[in-house]
Amino acid sequence: MIALGRFVIVGLLVLSIVYIVSLLRLRAKKRDALEDDWRVDGRKGDVDDYVDDGLRKSQKLRRWSLFALVYGLPICIVLTIVYLTNFH
Amino acid sequence: MAYVKWTLIVVFWVIVAGFLHYTLPQHDIVRITDTYEKRVDPGDNSLFWAQADVGSDGTMPNRDVFFIQTTTPDGKIIVYRNEDTGWGWPPYFKFDTSNLYAEATDLKSTSAVPRWIAVRHYGWRSEFISIFPNALSVREVEGPDVQIIPWLNILILTGLAALFWAIRVRWNRFQAKRIDPMIESVEDRIDDGGSWLKRTFSRKS
Repeated sequence: MIALGRFVIVGLLVLSIVYIVSLLRLRAKKRDALEDDWRVDGRKGDVDDYVDDGLRKSQKLRRWSLFALVYGLPICIVLTIVYLTNFH
Repeated sequence: MAYVKWTLIVVFWVIVAGFLHYTLPQHDIVRITDTYEKRVDPGDNSLFWAQADVGSDGTMPNRDVFFIQTTTPDGKIIVYRNEDTGWGWPPYFKFDTSNLYAEATDLKSTSAVPRWIAVRHYGWRSEFISIFPNALSVREVEGPDVQIIPWLNILILTGLAALFWAIRVRWNRFQAKRIDPMIESVEDRIDDGGSWLKRTFSRKS
């Protein structure tokens, strides 16, 4: 049981670090893309407001899709390996 | 100096290759001759043994380990151990050691009427330090010449090569953008200092 606990804790820790770093990177990329859009569209309104608005709109999709990918994919891989090794 | 650099690079890649060769799965086509259980006390070679079965006391210094004795088509002997990897390393999540032992016992055959088995395993066999590869699964195949393509290994090695290439490209870019200009400015300053020294202490001044 302890081995399982250790595996889960270390795994969740690593995945959380990956999640946070990826989230920050994706936000930065989106911010750059929004600034370019603002420039191309004719610099309408305040750039900070435009960027904040765009980031807020895409936040939910970004967070949940990254969550599913970063946490869901490794868990699916582990479960698949467990099935193929032990029950196939 | 170049010898030192190349030696270090070669040693690094030998260690990486050795690690991958030990950890990634391989297939052997063999004939199972016997299965048995033996008490084992992992000592200096404990790095190459797994741990007690999941759920049992892992602190005991010795334990019973299942083994599978096999012969290759050429007559070479290979002995595998059969241990849980559990939740540890390598991440095979093998829990069905006893079931595998039962399967292997059922697949025993004689040289007169051989049954050829593909044993999927990882690890090395060394008689000198008494380490055995860990059998992961057994499956009967038609004959001793069956070709098994290691798809998982191909996938993993391609992924690792892509990762290495990605890191290398980014490192080169970083080096060109940040480190080389810094070294050039240091060299320029050394040159300037050198020429000042020459001017100050030359005979003509």
